Amino acid sequence: MWAINLRILGVVLGTLALYTLIANKIPQVQSEVPHALSLGANVTPEQLATAGDQLYHGAGGCTACHGLGTRAPNLLTDEKGQGPIGSRCGKREAGKDCKAYIYESLTSPKAYVVQGYEPIMPEMGRILSPQQIWALVAFLESNGGTVDVSATDIPAAPAASAAGSPAAASASAGIAGGSADPMTIIRGAGCTGCHTVNGEGGKIGPDLTHVGARLSANLIRESILLPDAKTAKGYEKFKGVMPKTFGHQLTGEQLEALVQFLASHK
Amino acid sequence: MMILQAVADTARTYRDFPVIGSRAAVWITAEIHLMFAAFVLGVPIFAVVAEGIGIFGKDQRYDRLSKEFTRLLLIAYSATAIWGALLVFMLSTLYQPLWAYLTRIFGPSMWLYAALFLFESFTLYLYYYGWDRWKYGRSKIVHWCLGILLNIWGTIVMFIADSWLTYMMTPPRDITPETSPATIKIWHAIMNHTWMPINIHRLIGNVVFGGAIVGAYASYRFLAARTEEERAHYDWMGYVGNFIAMSALIVLPFAGYWLGREIYQYDQSMGITMMGGFMSWLWVIQAFLIAVLFLTGNYYLWVGMGRIPGSERYRPYTKWLLVVLVIGALVWGTPHTMIADSRELAAMGGSHHPLLGALGVMSAKNTAVNLMILATFLSFLLYRRANIRQVVPWAQTGTRIQGAMFVIAAAIVLFFGIRGYFVEAIVRIGYSVYQVGAVLACIIFVTILDVLMARGAQSLGAIQWGKMPPRSQYALFILAVTFTWLMGLMGFARSGIRQHWHIWQVMQDTTPYAATPALGYAAIMISTCVLIFLSLVGFIFWLGGLAEKSTFVPSTVEAPHVGH
Repeated sequence: MWAINLRILGVVLGTLALYTLIANKIPQVQSEVPHALSLGANVTPEQLATAGDQLYHGAGGCTACHGLGTRAPNLLTDEKGQGPIGSRCGKREAGKDCKAYIYESLTSPKAYVVQGYEPIMPEMGRILSPQQIWALVAFLESNGGTVDVSATDIPAAPAASAAGSPAAASASAGIAGGSADPMTIIRGAGCTGCHTVNGEGGKIGPDLTHVGARLSANLIRESILLPDAKTAKGYEKFKGVMPKTFGHQLTGEQLEALVQFLASHK
Repeated sequence: MMILQAVADTARTYRDFPVIGSRAAVWITAEIHLMFAAFVLGVPIFAVVAEGIGIFGKDQRYDRLSKEFTRLLLIAYSATAIWGALLVFMLSTLYQPLWAYLTRIFGPSMWLYAALFLFESFTLYLYYYGWDRWKYGRSKIVHWCLGILLNIWGTIVMFIADSWLTYMMTPPRDITPETSPATIKIWHAIMNHTWMPINIHRLIGNVVFGGAIVGAYASYRFLAARTEEERAHYDWMGYVGNFIAMSALIVLPFAGYWLGREIYQYDQSMGITMMGGFMSWLWVIQAFLIAVLFLTGNYYLWVGMGRIPGSERYRPYTKWLLVVLVIGALVWGTPHTMIADSRELAAMGGSHHPLLGALGVMSAKNTAVNLMILATFLSFLLYRRANIRQVVPWAQTGTRIQGAMFVIAAAIVLFFGIRGYFVEAIVRIGYSVYQVGAVLACIIFVTILDVLMARGAQSLGAIQWGKMPPRSQYALFILAVTFTWLMGLMGFARSGIRQHWHIWQVMQDTTPYAATPALGYAAIMISTCVLIFLSLVGFIFWLGGLAEKSTFVPSTVEAPHVGH
């Protein structure tokens, strides 16, 4: 009986050892945590780009798609003869400079899906802090272009929230530097990537030029905060495209300014 | 529980566990609890099906088999509860912020969970201790219904626990870090994206696991048997366990596809992290384990054909089945997109290998696994038919139709596999449904035909239960270890794709253990958990043996194949 027990033990231990050995022989990749950045007022473009480089190749998870040439556009190398991202970002959207384009592509990626690719990129505002996002912008600009991100673009790092979330940390920063001008907010939030306002913007979402004639201020507010709660007729297939993050990206003042501005457009 | 929540509410800090750290402590406790939970959920399904076959097929052996396993369940329930209590202590003391958050949302369901666990335990006591009292006539049916009730309690308990862990993976999208957990409706949290796919996946997985553990138990008793009769009984039991495990395993990938699709639909980046990001190598290991399962399961059947008179007719086919299985396993194990550094990418000439890259895509992998399933089903079919000669006049035509069904199913699988290379990804994903449909249709219709053809079949001799070489029994052990290890690996994949989030994009893990470890570390943890679990299961089996009296019921009917 002891011989049988020993043989069984040998089979069990041998099988476990084999699986453990194989799993230890393959490349060991650990998923890193994006470390919080504390950028001072004197941060240089080089420091920003270096921090962005680390995020891009590490905890940001960007390389899982970008650079393979199949899931998402190449950013650090040539993309269909247009050069790396830093050299082409300023030409992607009319009237939008490189910095704004990259920033909005990170925070509202579904508004800037490159032709031939699926809208698979997550909203990085849910994953990274504003400091981290600006560091990524600087790094991407540095690939073929000029870094023009400066400390003034970056909101001060707020105190850590109870949940420790970077997205929570962005709540008080607001969009477009906290501007109260509705059109600046609309452009800063990337609304015109999909919506037309006063003849400006895209046609993916409903035209907002006369939205006040169709929706009350309360419904407009709800549509900004919970975009999937009600979908405009004819736009059902785009349900889920609009970011749900404006509730914690806009300040209270900005939200109200935006709602009143749109409600007055009858 | 209220005290634990109160403690969590007031403190809300992380604490560390001595020596091995908080993550390892919770990992081991949760994993072993889950393994026991799978055991006490899978084996009752096995037991109630066996008792039903015993009642309606009037075969006492199945009744004895069912009772034998229900006795083991009594001890296994205690082990499940002990490890579950340990897990609650660990979470409530080491991860207080997370525990406070979860109890705030899921508190009522935790009470229900505890109550149902009590109901389940008492139903089990009634089921086991009433076995001999309610043995005949209508009372036996009532007893069988108790077994069904036991499974219903168990399934609800699992569904409740699944809602907690799936919420951590895929919280509803309107919940943000600012959302107070007190304002989240419990049903809204439960009905998250992956709740039902995980429920179904685990339900099937538990049946596989239950069958594998039964197989291991039977193989141990076979090797330790002192009489021919005992050896015959445990040989038969091992076969039944392997049959159930392999049959459920064939369905499991389809539930896995559903779960994977839901993850992608919820958050593409989560899906990409799982399949193509830092976890991409995990699927190579999984492919290796599945290959071991298919090869070992088939090997057991092929060796088993040695004890079936008339099986010589089919032996020449086994080498071709082996070729299909090995090629299929190699294709399935071919990596596609790997995280590589610039030096590795340059050496490979790109992100994909120039030759093998073509085999690493889902088109090739789906084709390979579907052909492996077909080959395994063919092995079962040959085993079933080994000792009979069909006498129905249309037997030859029927066999040709069966052969044609195999060829058509394989052709459909190959056609969509090759065509998948020339279409968009979104179209290609849909092709897997046609491939799976063809294989399932083949399995169903060929089985129906086979049952009809076997009517009144002439026997070429009874199966000589007990005449199995010992090596076949060690194969059953390898199956049990591999199933358990695979469960640990898939648990790591499911939990690990949350990365540094307790609750995906809602609550961040800010402990020193927030980074998701590499596969090497995970493998050591999984092996440790499997070893602890199997040691405890071995102890339970030993206790079961101590409690067992000589209750051997000699078989009064010729041992049939399962499914005859």
